[in-house]
Amino acid sequence: MLKSYMILSIILFSIGVVGLISRRNIIVIYMSIELLLNAVNLSLIAISADLGESSGQIISLIIIAIAASEAALFMALFVVLFRNRGSLDANLFDILGEKHD
Amino acid sequence: MQNEILFFILAFIAVVSSLTMISAHRPIDSALSFIVTLISIAALFALTNATFLFVVQLIIYAGAILSLIIFIIMFLNIKDDNLPDEKYKNRWLLATSIIISPFSAILIDLILRSDIAIKSVSDTKFGTIQDVGLTLFSEWVLPFELVSILLLVALVGSVTLSKREN
Repeated sequence: MLKSYMILSIILFSIGVVGLISRRNIIVIYMSIELLLNAVNLSLIAISADLGESSGQIISLIIIAIAASEAALFMALFVVLFRNRGSLDANLFDILGEKHD
Repeated sequence: MQNEILFFILAFIAVVSSLTMISAHRPIDSALSFIVTLISIAALFALTNATFLFVVQLIIYAGAILSLIIFIIMFLNIKDDNLPDEKYKNRWLLATSIIISPFSAILIDLILRSDIAIKSVSDTKFGTIQDVGLTLFSEWVLPFELVSILLLVALVGSVTLSKREN
């Protein structure tokens, strides 16, 4: 049973990586990152249930807290970037590479 | 036996809805299918007796984070010409999955060859809020306190980012 959980977690992680690399919409990129975190959580919880040790659940609880703070920062970034560029295209967001004189 | 059937149904739902999530054109469609993924992952947590994490996943992920995303999508009032056109989206998805699939095949092969399935838990207290809380406040106090600092920093950072300059 643990093996099927691990395989499902690998499949979800790969789907998340594919979405992260190939899409240009920043909201979809953000949700792919969340999918990566969820795949890791799933494997952690499966392992902790298999070992009968609740430390894995604590780690995934901390990961959920980190994901929540990441969500707050990403939402602020979406609002700022959409206000400045008027688009959700990740290729347009090159503010750090611009020359300002 | 019943658990296996439930697991395969939930795994199928999770994989299909996450594929819909990365391939949908409009962000509201991908957000709604991502909710389905999160709820099925929460149900998988419940299947491994992790009841507290099941509740946390439902409340924080499917409840708070995803409703925040949907709120932002509604708030920004995204029209079709605000979206990237992504003419070659399907080709990109295909090419990236061809690149990624050998790595995941290697990982799956490693998992299948290993002998990790040790035992399954019969302890009824496992995964309850009492068990998780005792571990959290005895062995993991320092990471727990660091998380509170992280949340404070994220709060201040998001307020500073979204403040209008004038």
